[in-house]
Amino acid sequence: MKKNFFEGIDLTVLFITTGILTAGLLAIFSATYTSGTDYFSRQLTFALFGILLMLVVSYIPPRIIAKGSYAFYGLSLILLVLVLLFGKKISGSKSWFSFGGFGIQPSEFAKIATVLAIANFLSTSDEGFKNINKPVNFIKTCLFVFVPVILIMRQPDMGTSLVFLSMILPIMFWAGLSPYALFIIISPAIIAVGAFLGMNYFITALVIVAVVLLLFKKNIFITAGILVINFVIGFSVDTLYKKLQPYQQARIKAVFDPSTDPLGSGYNVIQSKVAIGSGGLFGKGFLQGTQTQLKFIPEQWTDFIYCMIGEEFGFAGSVIILLLYMLIIFQLVNNAYLSKNRFLSIACIGFSSIILFHLVINVGMTIGVMPVIGIPLPLMSYGISSLLSFLVMTGIGMSAYRYRNQY
Amino acid sequence: MDIEKRKYVIYVFCTVIFFVFVIRLAYLQLFTSEELSRESDKNSVKTITLTPPRGLMYDRNGKVLVDNKPSYTVTITPSQFDKNNLNEIAGVLELKPEELSENLKNIKGTNRFNPAKIKRDVEFKVVSYIAENKDRLSGVDYQIEAIRYYPNNFRGSHSFGYASEISQKNLEKQIGNYYTQGDVVGSSGLEATYENDLRGVKGYKFITVDVKGREIGGLNEGKNDIPPVNGSDLILGMDKELQEYAEKLMENKRGAVIAVDPKNGEILCFVSKPDYDLSLFAGKTDPKVFYNLLNDEEKPLFNRVTQTKYPPGSTWKMMMSLAALDAGVITTTSTIACPGSFTYGNRTFEDHGAYGAINVVRALEVSANVFYYKLGLQIGIDNYHKYGKLLGFGTKTGIDIPNETSGLLPSREYLDKRYGVNKWPQGLLVSLGIGQGELGVSPVQMAAYTAAIAMNGLYCQPHFVSKIRRNDNTEESKSFEQRRIDMPLKYFEAVKKGMFLVVNGTGTAKGIVNKDFILSGKTGTAQNSSGKNHSWFVGFAPFDDPQIAICVLGENEGWGASFAAPLAGKLMVRYLGGEQYELDNEIKMVNGQPD
Repeated sequence: MKKNFFEGIDLTVLFITTGILTAGLLAIFSATYTSGTDYFSRQLTFALFGILLMLVVSYIPPRIIAKGSYAFYGLSLILLVLVLLFGKKISGSKSWFSFGGFGIQPSEFAKIATVLAIANFLSTSDEGFKNINKPVNFIKTCLFVFVPVILIMRQPDMGTSLVFLSMILPIMFWAGLSPYALFIIISPAIIAVGAFLGMNYFITALVIVAVVLLLFKKNIFITAGILVINFVIGFSVDTLYKKLQPYQQARIKAVFDPSTDPLGSGYNVIQSKVAIGSGGLFGKGFLQGTQTQLKFIPEQWTDFIYCMIGEEFGFAGSVIILLLYMLIIFQLVNNAYLSKNRFLSIACIGFSSIILFHLVINVGMTIGVMPVIGIPLPLMSYGISSLLSFLVMTGIGMSAYRYRNQY
Repeated sequence: MDIEKRKYVIYVFCTVIFFVFVIRLAYLQLFTSEELSRESDKNSVKTITLTPPRGLMYDRNGKVLVDNKPSYTVTITPSQFDKNNLNEIAGVLELKPEELSENLKNIKGTNRFNPAKIKRDVEFKVVSYIAENKDRLSGVDYQIEAIRYYPNNFRGSHSFGYASEISQKNLEKQIGNYYTQGDVVGSSGLEATYENDLRGVKGYKFITVDVKGREIGGLNEGKNDIPPVNGSDLILGMDKELQEYAEKLMENKRGAVIAVDPKNGEILCFVSKPDYDLSLFAGKTDPKVFYNLLNDEEKPLFNRVTQTKYPPGSTWKMMMSLAALDAGVITTTSTIACPGSFTYGNRTFEDHGAYGAINVVRALEVSANVFYYKLGLQIGIDNYHKYGKLLGFGTKTGIDIPNETSGLLPSREYLDKRYGVNKWPQGLLVSLGIGQGELGVSPVQMAAYTAAIAMNGLYCQPHFVSKIRRNDNTEESKSFEQRRIDMPLKYFEAVKKGMFLVVNGTGTAKGIVNKDFILSGKTGTAQNSSGKNHSWFVGFAPFDDPQIAICVLGENEGWGASFAAPLAGKLMVRYLGGEQYELDNEIKMVNGQPD
């Protein structure tokens, strides 16, 4: 079945990626064109190069990627160690190598490497592929993530560490983790949020968890044990909160009530909400946003790029951008579903969960429903490492589509 | 749970997130939008651009040559400006209402939320009117800016140059986006060449303003403000007293004076007359003033030091001597017969005397034309061009002000092109030999050439600026090209001996001889078909340790000896001996003799 060279390209991913990149470039242009910087032209150059790279990656057969995945993972870990020793410190984090005018962030590439290594691990075994419900495989999968997480927390880069942790559950879920096990892992998080919000929320959360656990109809003693553990966690949230750094506390507090700190960590949240809100239904028009043009939000071309969409293109523009992200995530999940190759299937889920997590945190932060955690908006925020890394991810996602019928 | 179900679980999860976000966006952008827009207006921030004062210029002894003084500039912030006030503001600023509204429409380089400069150098009463009616005249404001001030009673127009408001055309053409409307940019002379040093770096102040444009206070307690960096100062090699004296001597004349320090090429004085008053360009520039200067028959904007292309006349004879010596056509002792005239083909070229068989030193002393008619033919066009180039002719000297001419130094290629290959008469070389004909040099080239001879072949690029003093008081020396003209020392010594005798022997400039400082030089007269001849003199002093090399050109002043030589003599003596000495040993302007 010899096919035309261009057949098998995942046009959905290609077009949506290009669409998001274009929106991002417009936003960067608007945020920087009066500042005399060359962020726009740099991002444009690397976006064009990145699309080519994405297309090239989409042609690489899965067995070659799988074969190289452990080496790539090893290399990323070495780079993460080296960046701690020789990296350049930018705004408090040692996460950059600087080459000439360009900064390279190894943690961006470690994301891809970690997903690929886990995918390779879970898809190879003597008897078909590994059962994730076996404790030994479960723990090994976790370790693949924990090693880079520990290194990245040393930089320290909280946001990126969370990105790594966010991929564990979706990957395990896709690899066949039982819903019961999944719920046991999630429940303490539910309880913790409840406990943080106050006694009533805590009790409600506890009741919900108890009911759901009972519905699984598993061994009553195990269920009870888990409930007890959750109960303890709920009570220790307050203690743990007090152990956090004051700025971290302030950021969490500011999510729930930004007005507590209008000039500190709440400042950006208030300004970005004002920027987005003042956009109305269709926005103030390209290059017309007062908040954007007046540089009210510092470094808007990086983490707060979504504000500019909200302010200049309004509700319509903001929803279209969200929709594009949803479409690309759905398409990647569907590629994972269609693919007969378990390695690429798991990798696709890993990448879509990373994109989703970035989206939720970043957009959530700008619209004031998530804490201020500095991670970029995929394919839109200025940043060359992040841009290229996401384009490699979508490239591998496209290859899952091309090789969906190969085992 | 099979894989398909798991897919749908993920789809549902994502869809829930999507709707949560959409609801949140709808809440912010549709339901509380008005409130947040008001918030957004409340929060407007005005960026005030802080233009630093331009750097100053100092002379070699630290005296101020170009200074600054404060002035008022009226600004308008378009987003806050009430169009109903247009006529009133136009009246106050003495502009036509259409002019002002056109001005506002064309604001370049800044956005409509920030103040744009509308009129510079307004009078105090305009500023007080704006201040009194501030509440009513929203968006209208003023800034204090530094404008140029010239504290001395001489002009230096062509050296310092002027800085003027940037034109719309240049704003659009600029690379990058540093300049905005109403900014001042160096447009000629040193102001233009050293624009990037003199202008400094703009700063920005962020001020929070309410909807009506009233200032509430500094944004974030001024922590985000970017302070301006003052322009760097230029320290020139110029000598203020000498410059002043040279301009006085050239008053009501047409011509050029340039003196350099032969050891390094620093320019000691630089005069091009007629000139113009730089302070006309300091504040608001009346377009009429510029138009008048541009169309003045005396061409005051023309820089006679760097843009003139006249034949050098007999001052060219040092170049011919060096060329003939180095090409082996003559030696320092060989002689050439000099009867009173020279016939080539069917044309006879006259001389002003018969000198018999003379060597090169004597030929320079008496300015023997026949000697050089013959040399012109003997060295040929290729050597003529080669040595001309070597001594800095036919090419720009690289002086640090714009629009210098290369002059005209004929070459075989040039003559072939002009007359057809090999169709040009050899006789051309006869006149070219005495520095007449199709040959054009500028005074700055002549000064650099004279200095190089004085220094036995060390050719220094003439320049104004010796050091640049940065904002942090560090000084940076500017380096300029120096090269060695590769010829035996004895050739320069022979030529210098000739120049010595021009003043101290029986030569054409013996009228300027001085007992304390040994002056040397050479007179010249450029033939002028359309009027009286131009008077040239080049020279240097003291003979044994040259400290000044000079070139004087007087347009339509006749013989070199009658105008240029005594003027150059006065300046050299003034520089070396000071004011009192020069007055005590006054050099008289005389009716000079032919050269």
